[in-house]
Amino acid sequence: MGSSRIIHKINAGVVLVFLTLVSFIVLYPLAYVVSSAFTPGNSIADMPIIPFTGGVTTDNFTNLFNNTDYPTWFRNTFQVALATSFGTLIVASLGAYTFSRFRFAFKKTFMMSLLVLQVFPLTTGLIAIFVILFRFGLLDNLWGLVLIYLAANTPFNTWLMKSYLDTIPKSMDEAARIDGASHFRTFFTIIMPMAKPIMIFLLITSFTGPWMDFIIPTMVLRSTPNHTLAMGLFSFITERRNDFTSFAAGSILIAIPFVIFFVATQKILITSLGAGAVKE
Amino acid sequence: MTGVTRNKTLLLSLLFMGLGHIILFKQFAKGILFALCHIAFFIFVPTIIRNFYGLYTLGHPQPELHILDRDNSLFLLMDGMLTIAFLALFLGVYVLSVRSALKLQKEYENTGRLPTAKNFFSELATGSFPVIALLPTVLLILFFVVVPLIFAASVAFTNYSAPHNIPPNNVVDWVGFDNFRFMFGGNAMWAGALGRVIAWTLAWAALATFTCYVGGFIMAIVLTNAKMKIIPFFRAILILPYAVPGVISLMVWSNMLNGAFGVINRSLIQLGIISTGIPWLTDVWLARFMTVAINLWVGFPYFMLLITGTMTAISEDVFEAARIDGATLFQITKKITLPLVLYQTAPLIIMSFNHNINNFGAIFFLTGGGPTMPDSTTTFAGGTEIMISWIYKLTVDMQQFHYAAVLAVMIFVALAPFAVFNFMRTKSFKEGEL
Repeated sequence: MGSSRIIHKINAGVVLVFLTLVSFIVLYPLAYVVSSAFTPGNSIADMPIIPFTGGVTTDNFTNLFNNTDYPTWFRNTFQVALATSFGTLIVASLGAYTFSRFRFAFKKTFMMSLLVLQVFPLTTGLIAIFVILFRFGLLDNLWGLVLIYLAANTPFNTWLMKSYLDTIPKSMDEAARIDGASHFRTFFTIIMPMAKPIMIFLLITSFTGPWMDFIIPTMVLRSTPNHTLAMGLFSFITERRNDFTSFAAGSILIAIPFVIFFVATQKILITSLGAGAVKE
Repeated sequence: MTGVTRNKTLLLSLLFMGLGHIILFKQFAKGILFALCHIAFFIFVPTIIRNFYGLYTLGHPQPELHILDRDNSLFLLMDGMLTIAFLALFLGVYVLSVRSALKLQKEYENTGRLPTAKNFFSELATGSFPVIALLPTVLLILFFVVVPLIFAASVAFTNYSAPHNIPPNNVVDWVGFDNFRFMFGGNAMWAGALGRVIAWTLAWAALATFTCYVGGFIMAIVLTNAKMKIIPFFRAILILPYAVPGVISLMVWSNMLNGAFGVINRSLIQLGIISTGIPWLTDVWLARFMTVAINLWVGFPYFMLLITGTMTAISEDVFEAARIDGATLFQITKKITLPLVLYQTAPLIIMSFNHNINNFGAIFFLTGGGPTMPDSTTTFAGGTEIMISWIYKLTVDMQQFHYAAVLAVMIFVALAPFAVFNFMRTKSFKEGEL
């Protein structure tokens, strides 16, 4: 018994050392970027090796808000992400409700094409996105960007939502229909409240996608006042302009809400991800 | 109304859309809407013919005209695609109208009387919900997914590229399979670059998926089995790379690994471990290694969370029974946890592989596709280039759209098995009800 307790203690020690080491590797770049945001100077060569030892200043933040388009980028990105998120919710849930509750011509073909299309990433057809928005006069327009994201989000999210709605008993909406409610009314007052968990999941995941996308905005948005955060942050650290501290300040302002959100909801995340894997 | 036969219905509905509804079944609302579709089609016939002609020729060179008055091949190509999309929509409506008429006829045959006549609006309200609810989906998918994908693929069969074939200055022509021939061996330098990029894309996707899965699995096992009070604290730290937007993490790492000024090399020099900087991102093999390593940093928490979730779903009784039989933690992990978790998460491993094949950010923001290779000045493909980042460079920087489109077609072909897999694994398909 005594020797097994010693082994247990050694094991615990090994685990502790291992976790500390991994945590250090995880934390070091994050500490570095936070410290850079508060360090005087611009280039990465000026940054101290040990974080937070190069002096403290808030100049980078004031510079960000006074001398760059950061606030505009932030507003643009927020607008695009929010519109995409709610647009996806509306389009996907209407489609999912129809697929889940109605029988109609071409239903099978339709659902199969959605499933197949979700595999092909829109980014491979970069030039096509450019030309089609050009043709519809939506180039360099934030709403054009939203339309592209909406279309790209729809196939997967419709399927996701449909499998959830399938689990809600049909007797619920049939009862409402018998009471004389229209399909739209049934959908908004009966189905949507019951599908709240999946709707929240869908809202969040379709918000984070456009939030930090780079490749499609570069193709669609031309003028600087229309740029998004990912483009703006990237422009700080190109070869021509090495402004790492502004980049760091801008980055942590974006990352902090996400970090708080993820750490606070990690329990829910574990269960929802686990459930997603177990379910089909 | 005695003679409403199947043949008569079919003939009238095929002759002119909605005719059957109006004449035979007195369903005026539906009938008129269908008829309007058909009239619209007739009005657009000249446009349709013109667009098909444009699609066929892609315009003629008109150097004598002002630049904005010349034929724009891109618009002609796009308009051709859009015309095809509209025709497909029209055909779909046509089929719907015929089917709807036949359904009414069958009802008549069974009951012996026509469906009760309704007023215009209530007739539209019933049965129109699926159409209205699916309309946004259909239009979005058709015009912003299907048309762009087909357009991108068709560019592979044109010579759309800088410097001689950029509209509106010049026109673009169909060139058949020339671009494919050029890439697959017609030009040794491009063929070499293509081979290298394909091989690295596949190797990268496999390695990136494997390392993140294994890393996530190990962390999940350690965190679930270590009985220490401090574990939630570690868990909160380890989740951070998942919470920080990947673009930011990758750009930060890229700066930290900078050969001359990066904090990592400067630290190692100060500590006396090395005397000159390590070329993290400028040596080909080291750069490839680093893309996988940094991707592990970014990607392991996802699988850690996922596997933790899956493990909590496994019944505790199984572990309890194994422990009573005297199994060690290693044995339990190998014989029970791993197989069960693998089985549950297999679809997600495949989805993750699929995602990594097109993981633009993981490459572009860390190495930018670099370091430079002997052929990079011509082909723009660097040592860690994957297909999607190469497409980006060929499109945005080099304006070699025709070669970018060849790569896009290759990605479509490579991803087709995933599409089939996706389809086969759905529950509805397995149960045969779809």
